[in-house]
Amino acid sequence: MKSQYFAGVDIGSTMTKVVIMNQAMLASVIGPTGPEHRKLANRVMEEALAKANLPFDDITYVVATGYGRINVPFADKQITEISCHARGVSYLLPDARMVIDIGGQDCKGIKLNNGRVMDFVMNDKCAAGTGRFLEVTAEGLGVKLEDMGRLSLEAKSKVEIGSTCTVFAAQEVVAKLSEGVPLPDIIAGLHEAIAARIHSMVGRLRIEKEVALTGGGAKNIGLVKALEAKLGFPVLLPPEPLLTGAIGAALLGRDIVKQAAESGTPLPRSERHLQEATLFTQ
Amino acid sequence: MVYVAGVDIGSAFSKAVVMAGNKIIAYQVKPSGGNYRLTAEQVMEEALTKAKLSLKDIDYTVATGYGAANVSFSRGAASDISCLARGVYYLFPTARTAIDIGGQFTRVFKLDNRGRATAFLLSEKCAAGSGRFLQVIAKVLQIDLKDIGELSLKSRNRVDFNTGCAVFAESEAVSRIAEGTAKEDILAGLHRTLAAKVQTMVERLGIEPDCALVGGGAKDIGLVRSIEESLACSLLVPEEPQIVAALGAASIAGEKAAAIKTSH
Repeated sequence: MKSQYFAGVDIGSTMTKVVIMNQAMLASVIGPTGPEHRKLANRVMEEALAKANLPFDDITYVVATGYGRINVPFADKQITEISCHARGVSYLLPDARMVIDIGGQDCKGIKLNNGRVMDFVMNDKCAAGTGRFLEVTAEGLGVKLEDMGRLSLEAKSKVEIGSTCTVFAAQEVVAKLSEGVPLPDIIAGLHEAIAARIHSMVGRLRIEKEVALTGGGAKNIGLVKALEAKLGFPVLLPPEPLLTGAIGAALLGRDIVKQAAESGTPLPRSERHLQEATLFTQ
Repeated sequence: MVYVAGVDIGSAFSKAVVMAGNKIIAYQVKPSGGNYRLTAEQVMEEALTKAKLSLKDIDYTVATGYGAANVSFSRGAASDISCLARGVYYLFPTARTAIDIGGQFTRVFKLDNRGRATAFLLSEKCAAGSGRFLQVIAKVLQIDLKDIGELSLKSRNRVDFNTGCAVFAESEAVSRIAEGTAKEDILAGLHRTLAAKVQTMVERLGIEPDCALVGGGAKDIGLVRSIEESLACSLLVPEEPQIVAALGAASIAGEKAAAIKTSH
């Protein structure tokens, strides 16, 4: 039998992630979803195919997920990021009972039981409590997003951020900086603010050990520490926190193919083409 | 003749109104900048120059707004809401509900038949529904804030936004531009989003006609039309919507000056 390959495409608001798997991971690519790239998720896919040394037609099943999953012409199926994150985390970190995913434009809490989604909470209405909060405030402070975590660890004390709204917080931190408050103390304050918001949101689900942290937020050591302080215990981190959604998508694709083969039903496949995507319903 | 003044130092703009008795004789509007104390002096000075008066001619000055504490030459201060209510009452005595869309906040309030605010709501936690939202979008679309209104009226195919958050709307607008959507259609969609926020506030307070719209946001004709559509009523909009709080402050100053005069 010809070997089977599965692709997971996670088009987030900030990053597009593609993984190609058979029994193990063969290739993964993380590319920006910037405004111009949004419709160019196919480029990230092409890059992943090149890495895996596979033509597009050899992929048995393609599952798209994430904020931009709606109009992906090269996917067989769209599955919500909640299901994909749950599947990905259960595969990578089987002990996890809860996932906190801090994305560029949303934040999710997912309760798991044997890899199944029991319950979830999500904020995608307001930028506060998402990666965007840190992105916007970092820009205001003139600090690279990837340096925020490291810098915050140098804080002697945390400054209190009074604004909830990201727009107002960005103004507030610039004012604090001009007042002479040390940069690390401000950044530590920002991490504290976002951790408090996330903790209060996921607290609506009963928090249970172990907790896995995924998404871009999990790459910020300052935010990880601030959240661990709120939770009162350490979190589990996957090897690459950005990829859990895409891995879950590929695995769910594999599950679908397996199920179809076992039940003898035809595989629910789409007429797919490796071309530009759009974020908006047509 | 009794001369009085009202000075409103807002988060985005500062305004001064000079009155002779109960009549407006001059006003000035300028960006607040970073130094409120200096701006307060300048905006007052410029209004006085227009009125051909000097500070010593003014019998009473009332300060209001976010930076009211920086108006060193005022004799008193009054809350934004009481000044706004008084200003609306001066312009539109029949108004019973008013919406103020400022640079940072949106306020909705009810007023009685004597120009006193009886209830109000303030959107202070979130930039959605405030003038800030329009500033953010104007920047993204690279158009002048003052041109937004007219341009949005040209829309034939308004886009629907998925979000009310100013930060998310900004990125959604960027994606829309990247996909070739016309600016006017994006603007019309954003006005709709903003109007929906304002509508929620108004409905929470309960609308009672007539309804006035004031503040910098009222200078955006597209937003005015959008709110009228949402509320299904026409709005009273002053010719110069930005000076309403300063006008109310001057009107309160007039009352104080008159009270002092009769007590002598």
